[in-house]
Amino acid sequence: MTVLATGAATTPTLALVGVIGVLGAVGTTLLLERSLTRILLGVVVLSNAINLLILAAGGPAGRPPMLETQTTAPMNDPLPQAMVLTAIVITLGVTAFLLAMAYRSWQLEGNDEVRDDAEDRRILRAAEHGDLRAQIRAERERLARAEDDDLRGTS
Amino acid sequence: MVELTGHLVPLPVVLPLLAAGLRLALGRRWPRLQRVLSVTTLSVVLLVSVLLLVAADTHGPLVVQVGGWAAPVGISLVADRLSALLLVVSVAITLAVLVYSIGQGMVDGEEVAPLAIYHPTYLILVAGVATAFLAGDLFNVYVGFEVLLTASYVLLTLGGTGSRLRAGATYVVVSLVSSMVFLVAVATIYAATGTVNLAQLAERLAELPPQLQLVLHTLLLTGFAIKAAVFPLSAWLPDSYPTAPAPVTAVFAGLLTKVGVYTMIRTQTLLFPGGSLDTLLLVVALATMLVGILGAVAQTDIKRLLSFTLVSHIGYLVFGLAVGSVHGLSAAIFYAVHHITVQTSLFLVAGLIERRGGTTSMRSLGGLATLSPVLGILFFVPAMNLAGIPPLSGFLGKLGLVQAGVAAGGPLAYTLVAGSVVTSLLTLYAMARLWGYAFWRSPSLAVAATPGTVLESPGEPALTSAYGPEETVGPASRRTVTGGATTLGGQAIVTTARLPRTMTGATIALVAFGLALTVLAGPLTAYCERTASELLESGDEHPTLAPGGDG
Amino acid sequence: MGPLLVAHFVLAAVAPLLVFWWGRNAFLVLAALPAGTALWALWQAPQVVAGPSPTWTVEWAPAYHLVLALRMDVLSLVMTVVVTGFGALVLVYCARYFTSAEPGLVRFAGVMVAFAGSMLGLVLADDLVILFVFWELTSVFSYLLIGHDAERRTSRRAATTAFTVTTLGGLTMLVGVVIIGETAGDYRISHLVSDPPAGAAVTVAVALLLVGALSKSALLPFSLWLPAAMAAPTPVSAYLHAAAMVQAGVYLVARLAPAFSDLLLWQLLTVGVGTATMVLAGWKALRQNDLKLLLAYGTVSQLGFLIATLGRGTDAAAFAGLALLLAHALFKAPLFLVTGIVDHGTGTRDLRHLSGLWRAMPATFGVALVATASMAGLPPLAGFVAKEAVFEAFLHPARAGSWPDTLVLAAMVLGSAFTVGYSARFLWGAFADKRDLPGLAPATTHGPGPLFLAPALLLAVLCLFGGPFAEWLSPALAGYATTPGLTAAQSELHLDLVNGVGVAMVASAVALAGGLLLFRFRARVARLGAQCALLDADAVYRRVLRTVDTLALQVTGATQRGSLPLYLGVVLLTLLAVTGIPLARVLSDVPAVEPRWWDSPIQVAPALIVALAALGTLIVRQRLFAVVLAGVTGYGTAVLFVFQGAPDLGLTQFLVETVSLVVFVLVLRCLPGRFSTPVLRSRRRWNLLLGVAMGALLATLSIVALAGRQHPPVSDAFGAAAQQAGGSNIVSIVLVDLRAWDTMGEISVLAVAATGVASLLFLLRRVPNAARHAPGPSVPIPDPAGDPQQHQQRWRSPPLAWARATAGVRARATEQAWLPGALAIPEERRSVVLEVLARMLFHTILLLSVYLLLTGHTSVGGGFAGGIVAGLALTVRYLAGGRFELYAASRLQPGSLIGWGLTIATGSALAAILTGHEVLTSTVVDLTLPVLGHVHGSTSLVFDLGVYLLVLGLLLDILRSLGARIDEQSEHAGRPQEVRP
Repeated sequence: MTVLATGAATTPTLALVGVIGVLGAVGTTLLLERSLTRILLGVVVLSNAINLLILAAGGPAGRPPMLETQTTAPMNDPLPQAMVLTAIVITLGVTAFLLAMAYRSWQLEGNDEVRDDAEDRRILRAAEHGDLRAQIRAERERLARAEDDDLRGTS
Repeated sequence: MVELTGHLVPLPVVLPLLAAGLRLALGRRWPRLQRVLSVTTLSVVLLVSVLLLVAADTHGPLVVQVGGWAAPVGISLVADRLSALLLVVSVAITLAVLVYSIGQGMVDGEEVAPLAIYHPTYLILVAGVATAFLAGDLFNVYVGFEVLLTASYVLLTLGGTGSRLRAGATYVVVSLVSSMVFLVAVATIYAATGTVNLAQLAERLAELPPQLQLVLHTLLLTGFAIKAAVFPLSAWLPDSYPTAPAPVTAVFAGLLTKVGVYTMIRTQTLLFPGGSLDTLLLVVALATMLVGILGAVAQTDIKRLLSFTLVSHIGYLVFGLAVGSVHGLSAAIFYAVHHITVQTSLFLVAGLIERRGGTTSMRSLGGLATLSPVLGILFFVPAMNLAGIPPLSGFLGKLGLVQAGVAAGGPLAYTLVAGSVVTSLLTLYAMARLWGYAFWRSPSLAVAATPGTVLESPGEPALTSAYGPEETVGPASRRTVTGGATTLGGQAIVTTARLPRTMTGATIALVAFGLALTVLAGPLTAYCERTASELLESGDEHPTLAPGGDG
Repeated sequence: MGPLLVAHFVLAAVAPLLVFWWGRNAFLVLAALPAGTALWALWQAPQVVAGPSPTWTVEWAPAYHLVLALRMDVLSLVMTVVVTGFGALVLVYCARYFTSAEPGLVRFAGVMVAFAGSMLGLVLADDLVILFVFWELTSVFSYLLIGHDAERRTSRRAATTAFTVTTLGGLTMLVGVVIIGETAGDYRISHLVSDPPAGAAVTVAVALLLVGALSKSALLPFSLWLPAAMAAPTPVSAYLHAAAMVQAGVYLVARLAPAFSDLLLWQLLTVGVGTATMVLAGWKALRQNDLKLLLAYGTVSQLGFLIATLGRGTDAAAFAGLALLLAHALFKAPLFLVTGIVDHGTGTRDLRHLSGLWRAMPATFGVALVATASMAGLPPLAGFVAKEAVFEAFLHPARAGSWPDTLVLAAMVLGSAFTVGYSARFLWGAFADKRDLPGLAPATTHGPGPLFLAPALLLAVLCLFGGPFAEWLSPALAGYATTPGLTAAQSELHLDLVNGVGVAMVASAVALAGGLLLFRFRARVARLGAQCALLDADAVYRRVLRTVDTLALQVTGATQRGSLPLYLGVVLLTLLAVTGIPLARVLSDVPAVEPRWWDSPIQVAPALIVALAALGTLIVRQRLFAVVLAGVTGYGTAVLFVFQGAPDLGLTQFLVETVSLVVFVLVLRCLPGRFSTPVLRSRRRWNLLLGVAMGALLATLSIVALAGRQHPPVSDAFGAAAQQAGGSNIVSIVLVDLRAWDTMGEISVLAVAATGVASLLFLLRRVPNAARHAPGPSVPIPDPAGDPQQHQQRWRSPPLAWARATAGVRARATEQAWLPGALAIPEERRSVVLEVLARMLFHTILLLSVYLLLTGHTSVGGGFAGGIVAGLALTVRYLAGGRFELYAASRLQPGSLIGWGLTIATGSALAAILTGHEVLTSTVVDLTLPVLGHVHGSTSLVFDLGVYLLVLGLLLDILRSLGARIDEQSEHAGRPQEVRP
């Protein structure tokens, strides 16, 4: 099949692949922690990995995509470069914002850790004490019935 | 006529950006004028989108080659039936919510930060949504997503209260991951095909070896499924949405997930037609419906409950998409329109409830129907609509889906039909319970029913100026936030006996819009059928491609 | 008939107003419309009986087979008369039952009329979906009606119960409807009845439909909601639970019997369940003490009777069933009304407290007497005639001597005996003198006014004459009974009072005798019933609900953990699962290419450095160290970019990395120096595992995807395009021209991010007293509360005026100063060298930035790079001279810079449209600038200028917020910032 035709030529260098792999692994690992700073570092590292991935998608290294240069050596694909540029810039913006968040949350909480959601925790506890809830509910119903009866009495 | 409307295509993106720029540039001069600016901008955009819809329906898709560079060299914008429809609905919604939030801002006297940045951010959010809808270029879809997501980060953490930051962290990080997945998908797809133009992708992807196709397909879908909040990638949503200010939650609930669904539709119909993953999608659709609605049943806070119904009903959309028939897809699109409207209106009503009752916790509310009959009607109609009570649009959408499921036949399809019925029954149960708690019962049970009370404090001490000693560097307060009713700026809402007229007006308009969907069901469903057949039958000849654009 | 239907809903909309104006008498006006409809229907009768049936259709949503089709045949006619006639009477009754002061009466009126309307629609609908629409509407309105007294828990519960149970049935029915409709390709009822679809699917569908019908008519096992619904006001019970809503199920059975009654499943579900319900409910009615509950169980029993008869599917049964339906409505409604009167008059419905009422309210007693007699089936009343007809129908079945019919007949006789029993109990309980009870004093009891009693009286009279004159109705009823599809059993169909002493007569006699015996030994019967009571349906319902709630809690608890790392883990695992599997398969058939280690050996060094630095960030616990290591990976990446052949990327990455390093340091200087204690080792191992998997995934993708490439990239055409655009640096041409649309989005991201940062750092809360707090030490602070101007200045604060003023003051004190603003910071933290450097470099860097902006088109650079460089100039100023230096350096506000940047960029985009080109179209221009001489560029330079300004604004904003702002806060916290980068 045609995969053979061009495939061999364009697979990226192992150097690049290796860096992508390592950065990806490290970035993900950092991302999975609780400290916003470390998460942020994870984001930065991971996006570096992805930027390299995009660049690698352009094929092998080549000369800069400039028109004036006389050499006829193959040119590196400019489109991925443009994409990476956009991605870099966007990452910068998001990084700044996340840092502001980290600072703010440290200001409020005294740390930059992402706490678990309180409401979800409450429901989890509720689920664990399901039978207890049932009892409580039965009790509540009994009281309510009483309330209704005297309501009916008054009405 | 066509040329003219052709020129209109970029406006839904450009105009809001321009307005946002002006608002930032003007700083805080002439606040009234600036409010007018935002509202007029969105109104104009609404008008434009309606024109686009009409044109796309009569003359077929409108294509613009940005900068005059023929695709695939340049980026092309496409307004076909699907994008035009969603654009119209989204802009209509955002306009209503904008008016609502202006009302709220004026009530709370928050014409200063952070409301000062609220309008520009909001406008940019709209621009981002429009970009995503109009993009005829995969990478541009990514950019559109980034725009709307970044804007949503800012809006979600507005006021920087503890709860909003916590929710914000979850939301931002998960969204970042989804964007990264998307970006990886873009990179991989470019590597495999050498293009990012959607139409050209449709051709070139088809030529790839099937397994590789599957890899790219799953990458894309995973990225989008996170944004669309499809189970098991949905858990982030109910944790993050409810803490935001009511109008923000409303617009998020209406739009953001639907953008994800929109891209899923494009993926399934344009990029990877043939439904290789339909079975998987059907399964997750079922899971999304059931898990979501069970979550709603478990909640006691109105906003959280609504967030869970939001997730659950995304399942319907995926169901319709994955059935793979024209009827199913058209039902899904119709349901999307309905769901955008009704979910937004419900969140706006939740905001009004906060206004009236000082909280959205069902247990501490009561007797609202007696205290404020208007509020009662405003909640009851969309609630029944969400529960799919006929003849409201929710029912029509579900009817279409069930018809499609039955027509498709097969055990899985029937299971989904059953699942969707169970889901809407449970939705009704949740809604009825909410109604029973918050709107029935005697007002005397409701602590917050008396005007002027603040039920739950938003947590950390109100920071006065930029300089007040309370706002020291370091842990100002360890108090955790109880998610009480908070204004845009994150202060505790003071309840009022009379609901602010602007806010009520906007909500009424939206509820009326929801009812209009029922009245206009005939033309609308017909339009959706046309859209669906356009997407499925003429799927691969997506019109972005300029002549000779093939590489 | 369409207009009449619409009129009901219009009236419902205005009803609240009427009640608001005229109080309870408004009900008399409201009654006019249903009454009119009933008369109209009667006037239509001859034509309807003669046929063809009048129809009325409106297209609604053809795409979903939705046609608003109404059709009035005999069955619909009868139902219409019942529904609207009783509606009118009940509304009249309401006018006296309620006081004008009744809370929620306004809402009640509207809902009641709307309910009548939807009931009318239900019986007229000729389209299954439309029928379902009205079906559900009745459920909704009944929910609101039952819950009328919303402050009482019982009525709230009853309402919800009725709603959920009937909707459960309804939704089941919907599926049935759709299956039938899709198989038949048509939802029109008249068509379906004339040639019904068949097949396994249809059989299932019919079963589903019947589930809906049974739940609506409160048959077993759904009967629990009807007794509970007695919490509703009596008019509601009389209308919904005797005449109207509960008849919906009966109606559906009657409607579809011609089509499906030949299915065995149908027979079981209608005749079987119906008979069982009749007996069991009747038995339960025998031991009720609350009059309304007694009637409720009686109704359930009678509904069973009706469905059993109408479901049978013979013409005789159909004929008799329709007669029975009329009779039942005629006697059950007045009994409810009477109960209401009694309740109203005495304040109780408990027959253990009522005594001697027949003396207190004789007229009411008379009415009750007639109605009860009709219920018990005593000649010559309507009930008797109808019951006879039913017995006849089952005596002469289609196939002679079929044992099921005989069995059913026996059960029905037993049921009738029970009916007689509880009828007697009702009459006795409500009115008789009881030995153990003193007759209630006339003082406490008051008889009903004429208007209050009138509806019941009218109905009683009808019961009375319904018997003798029943024959008149025969032709009309026969009109339904002769619907094709019903199996013909009897030659002639007629209702007559005396059709000789036949078996039927005997059966009635038996029933009567048995009933009287049951009444005679009522106490024992009640005790017996209580002892051998079946399980309490309500308890079962509650248990189901509780199970649902617990399930919901457990599922939610399991899926919604509220922990970010967990969510991310799930996301990544899903990704790995769904992508990894096909990826593995791809790997197997990728051709084995001999790996290239590098394109040029110089790639290796940076690659290694990046990898090591990255691994380092995992280990170190000092914040800043980790940040620096991350920075190293960034710089390394930049180098890799360059070697790959992307100098622009290299430059941008380098600049961005620098900026973000600065920002990191600015923020982290006040966070704790070390990371807090690491998470559990197990967790970390797990994270690492996921990380490695993701890394592997990315790496593999980077290889595999390219291997699949079959076409040349589109970017091959970029060179020519760049030429055309008049630039030589393809990448920046792509950014500002070919794909400027992306760039526009990208800069709006920056704008938003900037506003976000500011919004988090410059928070404003209006807390009045806080204004009086002492201002910070270093500079005099204007009162932040109070005047709006100050508020408006805030997020670009502090106002420049005083910033420069203070700087000026200090500057006069000590003359020679490189950076005047720097004088505001303590001596020991200043560094003269830095200040000198800053002073020297500032303008040079600014120039450089402008140069980059202008030459971006032709060589490396561009608006973005330029903007960042300019921003770095400011950064240097700030780092050297502190925040006042920053204020001094830039008079401009970040907000307006960003704003103008965005405005210019988008404006240039818009300009193209206005000049009739496509959006963002650029044209080549050659111009000569003073400094740089001849510049060959294009109008896209304007766009680039926008980018430049915006990026500069972003950096200024960052310095203002994360730099200066934090300085202020830490100074006011009386805590000098430790780290000075």
